[in-house]
Amino acid sequence: MKNSGLDKDSLQTLIDTLASFGKQKLPLKVRLDLDEKDIFPLDLIRELLGPDIGLHLLFIPEELGGLGGNAYDVYRVSEEMAKLDLGVATAFLAIFLGTDPIVVGATEEQRTYWLRRIADEGLIVAYAVTEPLAGSELSAIRTRAERVMENGEVKGYKINGTKQFISNGGYAQLYTVLAMAPEGPTFFAVEQGTPGLVPGKHENKLGIRSSNTSPVTFEDVYLPKQNLLGGVEGKGLVHAQSVFGFTRLMVAAFGLGGGVAAMLRAIRYARERVQAGSPLAEKQGYMDKLIVPHVVRLEAARALIEETAHRLDQGEPELQTEGAIVKLFATEAGNAAADAAIQAHGGYGYTREYEVEKIRRDVRITTIYEGTSEIMQWTVSRDRWRLHLQDHGQYYKKIAASLEALHREHSDVGADAAALAVNVVQETTERCRVGRLTRNQHVLFELGELMTRAEIAANFARYAAGQAAPKYQPFFAPSALKAMSRICAREAALDVLGLAVRLVRGMDAVDDAGIADFERALRSSAITACAKGLMSDMDVVAKALNEQDAARA
Amino acid sequence: MKILVPCKRVPNPDLKLKVANGSVDLAGTTWQVNPFDEYAVEAALRLTEKGKGGERVGEVVVVSIGPKDTSAQLKQLLAMGANRAILVAGDDSALDSDLVARILRAVVAAEKPDLVITGKQAVDGDDNQVGQILAASLGWPQATFLASILLAADGKSATVTREVDAGVEERRVRLPAIMTVDLRIIGKKAVRNEALAPATAEWEDTQRLASLKGIMAAKKKELREITVESLGVAGGILVKTLRHEAPPARKAGVKVASVEELVAKLHNEAKVI
Ligand SMILES: Cc1cc2nc3c(=O)[nH]c(=O)nc-3n(C[C@H](O)[C@H](O)[C@H](O)COP(=O)(O)OP(=O)(O)OC[C@H]3O[C@@H](n4cnc5c(N)ncnc54)[C@H](O)[C@@H]3O)c2cc1C
Repeated sequence: MKNSGLDKDSLQTLIDTLASFGKQKLPLKVRLDLDEKDIFPLDLIRELLGPDIGLHLLFIPEELGGLGGNAYDVYRVSEEMAKLDLGVATAFLAIFLGTDPIVVGATEEQRTYWLRRIADEGLIVAYAVTEPLAGSELSAIRTRAERVMENGEVKGYKINGTKQFISNGGYAQLYTVLAMAPEGPTFFAVEQGTPGLVPGKHENKLGIRSSNTSPVTFEDVYLPKQNLLGGVEGKGLVHAQSVFGFTRLMVAAFGLGGGVAAMLRAIRYARERVQAGSPLAEKQGYMDKLIVPHVVRLEAARALIEETAHRLDQGEPELQTEGAIVKLFATEAGNAAADAAIQAHGGYGYTREYEVEKIRRDVRITTIYEGTSEIMQWTVSRDRWRLHLQDHGQYYKKIAASLEALHREHSDVGADAAALAVNVVQETTERCRVGRLTRNQHVLFELGELMTRAEIAANFARYAAGQAAPKYQPFFAPSALKAMSRICAREAALDVLGLAVRLVRGMDAVDDAGIADFERALRSSAITACAKGLMSDMDVVAKALNEQDAARA
Repeated sequence: MKILVPCKRVPNPDLKLKVANGSVDLAGTTWQVNPFDEYAVEAALRLTEKGKGGERVGEVVVVSIGPKDTSAQLKQLLAMGANRAILVAGDDSALDSDLVARILRAVVAAEKPDLVITGKQAVDGDDNQVGQILAASLGWPQATFLASILLAADGKSATVTREVDAGVEERRVRLPAIMTVDLRIIGKKAVRNEALAPATAEWEDTQRLASLKGIMAAKKKELREITVESLGVAGGILVKTLRHEAPPARKAGVKVASVEELVAKLHNEAKVI
């Protein structure tokens, strides 16, 4: 279903509201305090869900009293929240996740009932899926939902089991719980105060310490059958799967927001900090190592987040693979950027008051929750592998051809290098098929990485050529964006070449004679040639970043 | 009670001003509502509601003069709670306080509000003239730089205060009137309508944000676009801008080695002691 979401002005108003809220209620001192003292800011969350803001209304459909925001709106809000404080943002994510089984899986009657209550009462919701023995492997859940019969009919269910790492777990007013019913995994709605529902002690974590993470135990929790979401057992995993495109997009936006927040601080610091006679921001080695590559990767991530959001909003179903690609890339980029931001601050970055070390600890969660990076790599290669077998490699061949065509029209966005990267992926996947390499998990993980890198570069080239989503608000001038896209495409081509050779040769899939052929098929000399111009492009980006920061008061 | 709130959009103060070739370069700027005007809207909203979060009684109409995309700022004010918005098409650079006041006078004539509240000044030009000129040309009483407004139960007058050097000055003003507001007006108990809210009523000590419910409601509210000509106002401005210049960059300071040297410099060079 197509969803046009908020108009531009309304979205901007909402983002301004969040920024003002942040300034008023979450200044630096408060953020550092929540982190250090490990406090879940319940009042603040209540305020976000209260009449003065009502953030949860973003994802409630209009006909049920919400704002009916689309994936694009959710991405922008998620990024802004993440820039502010990833812990607080996580409370919001959990509400969104927890509401999802109702949005996608509930009966019409349940949907109306629960969504209205969430909209009107601003309920804190939790999504209770993970268990001590079931993390990445959801189907391993042990929490049981036993039927309770009356006169030969199912009257309700009795839930027993323990959930682990549940965000908002200690405070939620509503839990959507995945439990194993006789017909398979099934979502149930459980309200706070239901007898037998016992939240455990909250986890003492590395980061997002302002977020509450608790185990939740269910001891003979009785639920009437109306609480079975969708009314039919066994649909839980399907429901969980079908929103991955959306929820992973949100976590990708968290990775982006965390990374951007860290980079903004680092660039400001670098312009002010003078060493050896000039500001750090004017030093090429410093910028080209600690700042520019990270900003490039973050903007490349943004480009695919926007594209994926746009496609979801056009009504394309699921997009789980794209969700996985963008989550993998954006959260890893966010982590690397936050880490570099500490280095860019030197010793000051290692202290609390500059906040970059907190951002580093906070953003660390994004490569773990909603599917680890490894599971994302696996998902990507599994899905694209299937495509490869079905269409005999046409998927990537078509992308490469379209990039070559793009390069003929826009020779300045790095589409040629991106095409080379895509070609490497195509050739390597085919080699893996011929050599039966995908029986190796290592190969699948690496292939997932290769595919991700190439698809990110391909999309960034299109984006820089002006084919961005319609609500796109440029953060950079076209010339800087194009330089970034060229840097991204070169890096992708060079990196996937290295990975591909390492993979195929490393698995002994080619012999000494074969490796030369393989490298030729990868067009390795064309790839090494495309490194040309890298330094001057980095200079362009460094200059743009300096100027952008100078324009901020 | 119908209150008209004239509001101006101003460049985002978090961005540095670029001055080049004798003019201010606003190409890359983002815009926002002048903070003092936002306070004026907050005051108007409080005067028309039964306490914080209470039902609205009366009407708050916001008006701005600016280019088409000023609608973004007006929508924000509608999302805060204003009932209606009017956008008079105009070019920021072809306006001065006199023309703005003349346009507003025509809007006042058409809308017939009981009260006009606006910010004491806009934070871009800091002219601080519109409210005063408008009052004089309408022949209405004016109360400027207000720190508090207590509207009488009969709606015919208000007791207002402003901060002056010696303390607080209190006046009673007949309605209809023009009021301009200062920062203090968003204090918890700074504004109240005796007819609607009890003396115990309190608000947040800040202007309200545009809530998501408000954003939703704003989509259905009227935002009327009109032209200066349709108001029967002749264009033309009195203030001619010759050029803009950035203030000269400050010279680097000097470090002194001792108190003696400091005193000597203050005496001989700065000639302040
Ligand atoms: C702060 C926080 C908040 C969370 N919030 C929620 C929440 O609100 N609701 C909820 O339901 N869950 C939540 N989680 C759980 C989170 O989604 C899981 O931690 C995550 O999915 C990983 O599961 P796991 O911790 O059991 O790790 P495991 O699945 O045991 O993974 C451990 C490691 O092994 C790798 N691995 C896993 N399987 C394989 C495999 N088959 N082959 C090779 N490698 C593998 C992983 O990539 C990882 O590196 C939260 C977790 C944290 C830390």
